[in-house]
Amino acid sequence: MAQSDIKLIAHLMRRAGFGATRGELDAYAAKGYEATVEDLLNPPDTEWLGDDMVRRFDLEASGMINAPGSSRNWVYRMITTNAPLLDKMALFWHGIFATGVPKVINGRVLYDQINTFRRHGMESFDSILVRLAQDPAMIVWLDNQENHSHAINENWARELLELFSMGVGNYTEDDIKECARAFTGWTIGNTEYMMVRSQRDSDWPYGRIAYHFDYRPEDHDEGEKTFLGHRGNFNGEDIIDIICQQESTARFISRHLYHYFVADEPAVPAWPYTPPRDPEAIETLAQAYFESGYDIRTVLRVLFNSDFFKSEDVRYKKVKGPAEYLVGVLRMTGEFDMPRREMIPRYRQTSWMGQELSNPPSVEGWHEGVEWIDTGTLIERINFASEQFGDTDKPGVREMIDSICGDGFDGLSAEQLVDRCLDELGAFTVDDETRDVLIRYIAADHSRENVENLLRLSASTREFQLA
Amino acid sequence: MHRPMLEYSHTIGIVAMEGRGFEYPTDTVPARNGRMYVPNRSRDFGERGVRVTVLDLDSEYYGTFGYLGDGEGQLASPTCAAESREGLIYVADDFTHRISAFDYDGGFAHRWGAHGSGEGELNGPSGLAFDEHDDVYVADTHNSRIQKFTSAGDFLFTFGSPGISEGQFRMPWGLTVAPDGDIYVADWGNDRIQRFSPEGEFVTAYGTTGRSDGQLRRPSGVAVDERGYMYVSDWGNERVQVLDSGGLPVQVLRGEATLSRWASDFMATNREEAAARATANLKPDLPDVYGGDPHTESAHVESLFWAPVSIKLDDAGRVYVTEANRHRIQIYRRASSFA
Repeated sequence: MAQSDIKLIAHLMRRAGFGATRGELDAYAAKGYEATVEDLLNPPDTEWLGDDMVRRFDLEASGMINAPGSSRNWVYRMITTNAPLLDKMALFWHGIFATGVPKVINGRVLYDQINTFRRHGMESFDSILVRLAQDPAMIVWLDNQENHSHAINENWARELLELFSMGVGNYTEDDIKECARAFTGWTIGNTEYMMVRSQRDSDWPYGRIAYHFDYRPEDHDEGEKTFLGHRGNFNGEDIIDIICQQESTARFISRHLYHYFVADEPAVPAWPYTPPRDPEAIETLAQAYFESGYDIRTVLRVLFNSDFFKSEDVRYKKVKGPAEYLVGVLRMTGEFDMPRREMIPRYRQTSWMGQELSNPPSVEGWHEGVEWIDTGTLIERINFASEQFGDTDKPGVREMIDSICGDGFDGLSAEQLVDRCLDELGAFTVDDETRDVLIRYIAADHSRENVENLLRLSASTREFQLA
Repeated sequence: MHRPMLEYSHTIGIVAMEGRGFEYPTDTVPARNGRMYVPNRSRDFGERGVRVTVLDLDSEYYGTFGYLGDGEGQLASPTCAAESREGLIYVADDFTHRISAFDYDGGFAHRWGAHGSGEGELNGPSGLAFDEHDDVYVADTHNSRIQKFTSAGDFLFTFGSPGISEGQFRMPWGLTVAPDGDIYVADWGNDRIQRFSPEGEFVTAYGTTGRSDGQLRRPSGVAVDERGYMYVSDWGNERVQVLDSGGLPVQVLRGEATLSRWASDFMATNREEAAARATANLKPDLPDVYGGDPHTESAHVESLFWAPVSIKLDDAGRVYVTEANRHRIQIYRRASSFA
């Protein structure tokens, strides 16, 4: 297998997954690039550590009184899944449809939302938006239980248009009001009791009760609405259908996908005033969106098979988000073959790196790209990777070191040793300057103990922060 | 013929990080002194909340013992408990890999156990049952075997190994010594109950994987009455099943919890919440999106069993179902019916 093929597959797995070990890359490369893309899009194997294991051995990751239990459950899945794109997409939608614990409180409700993103996150966009509109966590997050036929609450409607589909500048204030009217009656069951419990942060008497969607026709505004030039007695599904027909929606979602999978764009609020980095790529994705009937899986297939995605120009040009960074490290170190209490300090690391799952800073989600990095978060990242890769009791680390120090170790030059180390980190590439530093380091002491440090040093580089 | 029929009696418990109440309870011991001993594992592996709660059937609260730590009389991650003939309460811990014994008042008596996979060593014990000689069988979960010790912790023998064949286990959980002396083990990962002679010879197995009546998904515990009927906490199906001595289903229960005395006390002093609760439909029809998954249904419907981690019988015909995720114990009575 040509090293260039391995490097391309490694690029794909860093973006469409959470990275891959050298052994996994060989298996993917043997299958071929396009076949691997298909497996990512339609995974034949969705095995992971498993709900049963998590529920038995990490009880709060099952009962989910609080959000951290829900997040731990998700992290267990992300670090062990054989279908990484499903969870990468869940993370993608979590960043856009950012819903959080300060208002939702109930960990299980947040977990249900992430499950929806995982299961349905590559369906048609209209289907995704309908599921989102009926998602109890989103309803509570944006107050749609307060949106009544006699007194509308515009919060959900405004964010649906501004943050979740079209972007500012493509609709009017009247459209927001009409949109809100169409979603009246979309609420959660037992609203009053659930909201009293939520306001009091009550888990009494028997733990949290998860919310469920409830449509109340008696509270739905049956009057005629005018929305984006269309007129009719619209309900929520009709509004979403109109939204999905819009050019602005196609471009908005395409730009999000480009931003997340291809190359960092400026933060979303700047989009109305800043053209895309690659307008032609956005046009290609928008065209796939319409030709496929808004099918996200199809758009992703076009994206991953495109020249603009495969290009060497975009490799190592995206800053890994904290969750994907942590998951990538933990997948390589192989620490969690079952739930362990060590998961608590591990998953909490994402907070110190700037991203607490299920607790976005606002409805806008997190500003991604270089904004992930500041002096504090960078230190947290480097310390974390260095500590994890420095623990040779972890099976993945031991395996990597055994492999680096295997065949012909004594006869390897410093250059060869560094290349072998980078290869073990998932066909990892660093620039010449970084490589020279690593070579000088190992040349000074060609021992197994120093290889362990070389691995830590390699995972502490600038390039390791990038996907 | 007469067949057992479980009738709901009442619910005990309330979620509480400390003191009166439970937080992720893992088992119930209805002890001969008339009190119940309930180990709590707590959330987030025990920064608060690890303890054994002592109470009785009328919800009288007698205190707690066994707080977080590694010292004598402390617990880190209690998974189950059992009463010896001698009248001590033994608690297994799957973090320290030890078994600790306490008197009825919570006073530390002794402890034993060491981490490992050799004879007499333990890896994540999660089931305990004493026989008539006061020797104890231990579900040595991550070693996928059962080990037998004296109550002082002296190793006697072991049986089972990892696997799916007869007599093998995948992470066994609860176990019991039946009135006839046979050992019944909830073979969690193999979705079955296995039965052994007191010496550990395989007798038979009950259950196949599935959700139909009589099938099992990841059973957590089993109790057996004097006529050989089995009471199974069918954890992965979020239900309790009564099976006859041949393994055929007699009754399937999904749970019907009501407010416990402690829960009623809470409602009496939190009237706004109680008033809102009174108007709620606590047994709603759920949208199809949840696909009939019992775990998800139980997350949404409070009265249903949610994570039934243990099932125990007492001498008075009561059945105790401990629900970790609902922090309570549902109690049923064994009645008879004509089939």
